[in-house]
Amino acid sequence: MYHHKYRLIVPFLAPALLLYGLLVLWPYTQSFYVALTDWKGVSANRNFVGLDNFGRLIQDPQFWNALRHNGAMLVVLPVVTLSIALLFATLFTQGGRGVAGASFYRVVFFFPQVMAVAIVGVLWNFVYHPTIGLANGFLKAVGLAGLQRTWLGDAETALAAVAAVIVWQAVGFYMVLFMAGIQSIPISFYEAAVIDGASGRTMFWRITLPLVWGHVQVALIYLGIVALDFFTIVQVMTIGGPNRASDVVARYMYETAFSYAQFGYATAIGVSLLFMTLTLSLLTFALTRRERVEF
Amino acid sequence: MSDAYANQLAPAAATGQYSRRDLLRRVATIGLAAPTISGILAACGGGGAPPPAAAPPAGAAPTSAAAAPGPKAPLPTGEARNPLKVPEDQPLDSVIFKGGYSDEYAINAEGIYQQAYPKAKVSHQGIQRLQEQLQPRFVGGTPPDVIDNSGAGNLDTAALVAEGQLADLADLMEAPAFDSSGKKFKDTLLPGSQDNAVYDGKQFALLYAYTVNGIWSSTRLLKDRGWEYPKTWDGMLKLCEEIKKAGIAPWTYTGKFPQYLYMVLMPMIYKAGGIEAIKRLDNLEPNAWQQPEVKASAEALYQLADRGYIMPGSEGLTHTESQAEWLQGKAVFIPVGSWLENEMKGQVPDGFNMAVKPVPSLSVSDKVPFEGIQASAGETFIVPSKGKNVQGGKELLRILFSMQGARFFSENTRALTVVQGSANGLDLGTAFASVQAAADAAGSNRFTYLFGTWYAKMRDDIKDQLGAMMTKKITPAEFVNKAQEFADSTAKDNSIKKYKRA
Repeated sequence: MYHHKYRLIVPFLAPALLLYGLLVLWPYTQSFYVALTDWKGVSANRNFVGLDNFGRLIQDPQFWNALRHNGAMLVVLPVVTLSIALLFATLFTQGGRGVAGASFYRVVFFFPQVMAVAIVGVLWNFVYHPTIGLANGFLKAVGLAGLQRTWLGDAETALAAVAAVIVWQAVGFYMVLFMAGIQSIPISFYEAAVIDGASGRTMFWRITLPLVWGHVQVALIYLGIVALDFFTIVQVMTIGGPNRASDVVARYMYETAFSYAQFGYATAIGVSLLFMTLTLSLLTFALTRRERVEF
Repeated sequence: MSDAYANQLAPAAATGQYSRRDLLRRVATIGLAAPTISGILAACGGGGAPPPAAAPPAGAAPTSAAAAPGPKAPLPTGEARNPLKVPEDQPLDSVIFKGGYSDEYAINAEGIYQQAYPKAKVSHQGIQRLQEQLQPRFVGGTPPDVIDNSGAGNLDTAALVAEGQLADLADLMEAPAFDSSGKKFKDTLLPGSQDNAVYDGKQFALLYAYTVNGIWSSTRLLKDRGWEYPKTWDGMLKLCEEIKKAGIAPWTYTGKFPQYLYMVLMPMIYKAGGIEAIKRLDNLEPNAWQQPEVKASAEALYQLADRGYIMPGSEGLTHTESQAEWLQGKAVFIPVGSWLENEMKGQVPDGFNMAVKPVPSLSVSDKVPFEGIQASAGETFIVPSKGKNVQGGKELLRILFSMQGARFFSENTRALTVVQGSANGLDLGTAFASVQAAADAAGSNRFTYLFGTWYAKMRDDIKDQLGAMMTKKITPAEFVNKAQEFADSTAKDNSIKKYKRA
């Protein structure tokens, strides 16, 4: 009986592993070599240049500028997105029912998640439009014309404006994730807490948050990867501008490869980004490890 | 567009729009290390964005000529029949950038090719973002036979030249013209129009659309208000003050793609210092950006921002957005190239009467008169050296650059070509007429700069600084210093192939 197991497993796994090896692992492996060449990407010629590309990377102010922005996103995105998502999830679910109209909000807040990031970016470009945009129009309508900005054209607001869009888009997803977590907490925990006279706030800190910690951990890694990538939304909304004020590493890599025909160097940027992402994931796991609660 | 302006024709047309499949294919082919790919794919979520919006076909576009050839074009005879020894039955594979000019004109030329070589199978692809789609073919050694390498996301022509991927077009240049009997191909083109496509003395590309860049305004608006287009920059600043008092913004520009500001800065430098000043910049000479003419021009341009003559919010607009604001009369002047009317087709109010004027002179001691203008040829056609039908690719260019091919283009897109006299007698509106008039008035005082074609990254880095200056984030002095830094680091970088302008 036992040895029959493999007859079933192997045919199921083989195609997936083969594809994964061919389309993921093989390109990754190749890229380590490409990063050590001066490949321009427009012919098959490439010369080995050793670690030159990485040496150049360390001295490239435009790379560090982009990395700084990723760093800022790495701090801001998880904190803001998870706070809002946890707040919503708690309001709509904790203790079994949530606030009035919860089921309506659940749907509405999840809605942005349904749209592709590229479309979201295009839509928000209109919202931020300097002359006919909703954002400036709203500010004027409520008597705050002094706060009007060219949101995406001003180096001081461009990155924040883009980040706000990602938060808007992502909150719904994490809200649903946390709601699922909260719903799996036995209702009796809350009933006991209520009898003991615990407030909603206390229940959140003492019951909800510890018991959805596994979900928070996963969310942190997801958002960390989003923050280290951030390509699509920046490319659609600002192309990294103005004057690289909203540039991120993935976009800089793209530009280096596809606009300036420096694939070798771009691949070196990609390899460094790979290690950053890996390090981040391991760090997040290590730092957020907690004992699991069985219930 | 020349490559210097390659990014301007449709810079926003397709930024960041990829289908899931495109990405996968690209990643698999290139082997780019891609920790971000899962992120991008996840982000693409519902299966990617809509295809980039292509410009609608221009004007009274005829039906696809390749598919259904119309009345037979007169084919050349004698030595002009097939001077390039095109194999009669070899298929022809053409890839054409489908942007501001659409691709009707190329389909028309392919139709004529089909008539001349009935046994050949002619295939046509009108696409955008050529780099992403053609790169695997170049790397794999199976490129198409002829390419219009233009628009946002095109292939880096200089890099293709450096890698030996392009065919030398010398034999085409010397061949008899397609329908100008007795003339050589090269003699039918505007003198100097192909200089931008010469690399180390060899003709590796041909440029088609003849573009005049300058300051655009509505002649009707100026007339109604009694404003006269100034010939000096001081006059421009005075007029701006008057316009501002009248409650209109004097200027707007494409803040999101500040490369359009080169259209003001470079002509000023040219007029003040002559072509020598431009050549110093092209040749990356030490301290070229520190020339007094460059400093004075940057300072003059900065006055628009400093004195509040620029429409608020301009820094956040794309090219079509800024042009739309301008068409709505919210600003009086805008720097653009002569593709403007075609690009904004359908949005131009009746009787708007748009016209292009040269950039006003910096001072009376300028080396070049007011009429001097930035004119260059764009739409870069290349013939890959490793294509299956190299001679056929050249032959298509001979047809495209013929009198009939070029006239079709002008009628279809309301733009000039480099083919001399091909647009004579065409009445295509005020914009077209003003472009012709500006080019005629300039006479030999036409110039273009080449560092944008040769050193794409430097061009874009300096363009960012130009944008920063016009939003008052940096001063003109800082702009000049930063530009010099980028030029110096380009000059020092051994991985960038250098060219010399004589």
